[in-house]
Amino acid sequence: MAVYRPSQARQQKGQTAPQEPNLVPIMNLFVSIIPFLILMISISQVALLALNFAGDEGGGGAGSSGGGADKEEIVQVHLMLKEHHTGLFPGMEIREPGSTNYTKIPWLAENMYDFDKLNDQLISLKEKYSESSEIAVVVHPEVLYDTLIRTIDLCKANGFVTVHYRSPKNVYIY
Amino acid sequence: MSTYDRNTRKRKGTRQVRRKTEDVKGLSITSLLDVLTIILVFLIKNVSMDAVKLDQLPNMQYPTTITTEKLMDNAMVTPVKLYLHEVLMGVDNQFLGTPQDLVENVETRATMEAYLLAEMSQIPEDKWEEACLVVQADAAIPCSFITQIVSVGTSVGYGNVYFATIEDADWLRTYRSASNE
Repeated sequence: MAVYRPSQARQQKGQTAPQEPNLVPIMNLFVSIIPFLILMISISQVALLALNFAGDEGGGGAGSSGGGADKEEIVQVHLMLKEHHTGLFPGMEIREPGSTNYTKIPWLAENMYDFDKLNDQLISLKEKYSESSEIAVVVHPEVLYDTLIRTIDLCKANGFVTVHYRSPKNVYIY
Repeated sequence: MSTYDRNTRKRKGTRQVRRKTEDVKGLSITSLLDVLTIILVFLIKNVSMDAVKLDQLPNMQYPTTITTEKLMDNAMVTPVKLYLHEVLMGVDNQFLGTPQDLVENVETRATMEAYLLAEMSQIPEDKWEEACLVVQADAAIPCSFITQIVSVGTSVGYGNVYFATIEDADWLRTYRSASNE
């Protein structure tokens, strides 16, 4: 004897059309949050170049005292602006540890330092001192901040990530 | 007159025309909500909740760099702004003097030291390693002024000094072409 399923229509309860959830409160929330966030966002944020002066491993070294590593054991890049009978000249000078043959990089024009040549020198220095990541930048007082930052930047870009910032002489009148 | 009679007369007297009305569907804002959600996520990711916003300052020409480093996590930042004609300290831009005063004026250096000491004293001792001095200086400033700030900052106890720059991966090429001209 055949068994028939009960009619499906009998099983169905009264159905209503699916309703969309009310999104208006969420919209209100969004519309009030987004202007605040847009106000707080800073699109043109500045980049940063870090020097660490803390502890013995420090990458800094304020003034003539240095920030940890021995002065004589790392490569030094001297930034100069004025000519002087003591050997100063407008440009850059690279001093390698244990060597008296300094690489001189005179500037190209007034306040135009030869960063191309410095870059080449840093590449070859990195090959030579591949294990060292430290370098000292000795900056004379008249040199512009822009020159200092570009030099530190090239050092970091060529693998000398720990840059010691030094000045040849500091006179404090306290 | 009963209510029934009144209604009957009304129906008989004027003919009421009922307009055909279509079901007006509600405007679907789901897609708009999707867009807003994406924007919200993007904004929340990019928004800086730091106490100090390191925005590009107007009237200041920044040096350009290829490399850039992130400010350390939970950094206690003290900004120093070195314009060509004035030095401003801290978040509240307290006027310190002219850059020349940093080198020539003893009082200016003492004031700067006192200010930085006061800032350091507000930092809990266990967070001194996270104390950061952020130098925002004009590219045309001589380094002697920078050296003064760095010297005083490190002597006070700031172990991390950051220099604000503008990232430009091609500055060397631009500089090369400018120097060839």
